[in-house]
Amino acid sequence: MNLTHHRKLAALALVGLSLTAAGCGNANNNNNAGAAAATASDSAAPSSAAASPSATAVASPSESASASTPAGNGETLTVYLNDFDDIVKPMFEAQTGYKLNIVSGNGAEIMSRIEAEKGNPHWDVVWMDAMPSIEGLGKAGQLLEGWEPAAAAGLTDFAKTFVPANKAYYPTGAHAAGVIVYNTKSFGAADAPKRWADLADAKYKGTVGMADPAVAAPAYPFVSWFFQDKGIEGGQSYFDGVFKNGAHVYPKNPNVAKALTGGEIKVAALQESNAYTLKNDGEPIEIVWPEEGAPASVRVAAIQKNSAHQDAAKAFVAFLLDPKTQQALIDQGDESYFEPSVAGVTVKADRNPSAKLVAADASWASEHEAEIKQWFADRSVK
Amino acid sequence: MRFTIFAHGSRTGWLVLALLVLLIMLPLAAVVIQVLLPGFFFGSRRIGDLSLLGDMFRRPLWYLSLKNTLVLGLGTTALGTAIGAALATARSRWSFPGARLLDGAVWLLIVTPSFILAQGWVMFAASDGLAASWLGWRWVHDAVFTPAGLIAVMSLSKFPFAYLAVYSALEWKMERLGEAGRLNGGSAWTVWRTIEAPLLLPAYCSGALLVFMDTVGDFGLPASIAAVFRFPTLPYSIYSALYTSPIRFDMAGVLSFYLVVLIALAMSVQFWALRRARFDFLGGRATRARAERPRRGAWLLAAGNFILLAIAVGIPLGANLLTSITRPGQSGGTAFTLNHYRELFVSGGQLTDALLHSLSIAAFAAIVGLFVGLLVAYVLTYSKFKLKRAIDVISLVSLAVPGVVLGIGYIFIWNQSWLERIGLLLYGKPAILVLAGVAGAIPVITRIVTGAMAKVPQGLLSAAQMQGASFSRRVRTILLPLLRGALLSAALAAFGASVFDLAMTSILFPPNFMTLPVVINKAFEDLNFGYAAAATLTGGTAVVALILIMERLFKPKEARRPSR
Repeated sequence: MNLTHHRKLAALALVGLSLTAAGCGNANNNNNAGAAAATASDSAAPSSAAASPSATAVASPSESASASTPAGNGETLTVYLNDFDDIVKPMFEAQTGYKLNIVSGNGAEIMSRIEAEKGNPHWDVVWMDAMPSIEGLGKAGQLLEGWEPAAAAGLTDFAKTFVPANKAYYPTGAHAAGVIVYNTKSFGAADAPKRWADLADAKYKGTVGMADPAVAAPAYPFVSWFFQDKGIEGGQSYFDGVFKNGAHVYPKNPNVAKALTGGEIKVAALQESNAYTLKNDGEPIEIVWPEEGAPASVRVAAIQKNSAHQDAAKAFVAFLLDPKTQQALIDQGDESYFEPSVAGVTVKADRNPSAKLVAADASWASEHEAEIKQWFADRSVK
Repeated sequence: MRFTIFAHGSRTGWLVLALLVLLIMLPLAAVVIQVLLPGFFFGSRRIGDLSLLGDMFRRPLWYLSLKNTLVLGLGTTALGTAIGAALATARSRWSFPGARLLDGAVWLLIVTPSFILAQGWVMFAASDGLAASWLGWRWVHDAVFTPAGLIAVMSLSKFPFAYLAVYSALEWKMERLGEAGRLNGGSAWTVWRTIEAPLLLPAYCSGALLVFMDTVGDFGLPASIAAVFRFPTLPYSIYSALYTSPIRFDMAGVLSFYLVVLIALAMSVQFWALRRARFDFLGGRATRARAERPRRGAWLLAAGNFILLAIAVGIPLGANLLTSITRPGQSGGTAFTLNHYRELFVSGGQLTDALLHSLSIAAFAAIVGLFVGLLVAYVLTYSKFKLKRAIDVISLVSLAVPGVVLGIGYIFIWNQSWLERIGLLLYGKPAILVLAGVAGAIPVITRIVTGAMAKVPQGLLSAAQMQGASFSRRVRTILLPLLRGALLSAALAAFGASVFDLAMTSILFPPNFMTLPVVINKAFEDLNFGYAAAATLTGGTAVVALILIMERLFKPKEARRPSR
């Protein structure tokens, strides 16, 4: 009886606390948002593990770094990324002596986390192929601005076009968010689609597939290029044509790949690394780089404005702009088909040497994101 | 007067309510409040745009999502409950060859993540899939990728919830009631229809509700299967709100709100159906149900069972098994390989770590969840607590609301900087996964235990109380022995389901603390289908083996029954 009683009181107290805090904790955030973010960006109160009965039993990653630790001496940096986690961690730790805490997930999960953590960010660096979203973070004032790494001098001319005026993020590479892929059993090289306009050609009626920009992270850079290139109405009429041609829209690129190998569809707009992976796996597909260019998804790295580990964060961004690092990503990575952002890096031997990438302006794409995604989502269910 | 709300008898009620609010309602409210006050957790006090609520009926995608969710939910509830209840009845009444297979299959279906099941179905039924290419059944594609086909596939994946609820309710029975009916000339069918079925109505309803909730909240299956045949549901639209940047927490909030309304409606229907039907019929003469060999037709049962399992389990898991042991051949066609399994244990050992993480998180979640779930069921069944209905609804919410929404709510709640000072900043620590796991486990545990508890008469407990037995003693000496089987089923179901809970862990896992579903999903997104399938089957086998061992160890045995 007593036990129940105590537990009840404890639980009630907890609920009460969280309720009141939801209200007043935010006033705090208003006043000292900077301080709160700084103390929390590496949240490792040793007492918190002891306070919750379950945490002690499950191994808890120790992340007890303080800003006073000499740079590179075991200081822990938290990076949110969506690819390459297994490569950059050992490499960066060995090169710099910093420790890397990695949260890896798909683009939407990482962005959801960043957005939900806004009052108390846990990340120091975000590194993803989602330039419009990270541009949005910059507009919301979440990113460190005005810092230029020495390594930025090595950026290619193509990559330099992606560095924003306020220097809030740096590109580390770009890949095609969509190339044309077709099943070689259904079409010969002569019949195969060659241009984006062909996706609306009656010859391919009912056989075309693509990923849904409302769900798949790389599909938005793909779609947005058409909307910027052709204008909003031009983009709408292009995709109207594709839909009227019986195109299938799948939630994500892996679903598109599955449909292609399974035979649901014969032609697809597929993310570059996915396309080459299928080909290297021996699937009967061929890749076409349209002359007018393949819409690019640009991978960029940005630093949290209030990060307590600015030096480590800067070291990490510089590390990503190192040709050696980018070469390692190409040689060992899963998403290894991309155009590097710095000079002195060799791309995959089987990647089309005349591959042409085009990209929508990040600021424009970020502004029109909601509008375009909503139109697309509502149109594709009709 | 002020203290009457804490009056004796309601205390457990308040405790339970507080726990449920903390674990489920508070995080959900944190997301839904984004509709009213976007930026509430970041210090903004701007009023949100309430017209979003009406958009449900204006925006084509949302309206279609709602309609599809209802069609799929209702259809699956009807068919899935029918399948589950029929199997549970047959299994508890008769013994037939292969009956043990059914138990294993049910667990397998519960623990397998729905997107894996769905992928299996797609591999089977796609126009170039196994059915068409190996068996020449071209009609399969057209049959599966229709609303009715989806309902059938969904029912075959979700029936285990109904099966478990009904089966554990059949553990004890009062044969005298049925025998009296037969003595008075009722046929077996009449007795089932007029005596046994009404007595089991609470269990049927529990099972049906579980099926309904899990169906309307499922993202994996509609996303994978329905991709071939586009069939957006509410969870799908919730994802599309979260996959937009700037992220629309308010839209996710609106859509989640409608999901909660759906649950509340479903529960009202249940309440109405059960309004006069509360039968606590266990008495001193209750006997443990024993499966008997039917006089004739055992082979028919065996064959029916076998065919059903071959479809429900064999097709999706078989297709995955094939994927895990094949690769495209050098000269076209496919070749067999064990490489995918070898890869599991070489590349940095990520899978082993992830599996251990997931198993320990799920074990904690199941144990804590069992404690909470038992209390919830107790309050629902025996107390006169005023807010019982609220508890009833909240206890189901986490099944229907997509995990990713609750996960985001968990970040809002458990990442407030003031928590740091009292050491409760749990976000970024493994403990948050346990909390989330408990939230996920509560609906399953509560429903299964409530179904079984409905038959234990209050009189047993009151009598003990009259003799001075304390609450804990009453639970220990009366409820636990009578409910042992159900409690075990509940804990194991919760354990199995939370090992593979992708949505919550993918949004909440702490840095450098990968979990099994996160690893599997990553492999899937990187197109390592073979690896993903191999990891799923390995993890699934480990979980099912653990579950079967636990069942063996703890299952109430005939011999343990106290002799009179």
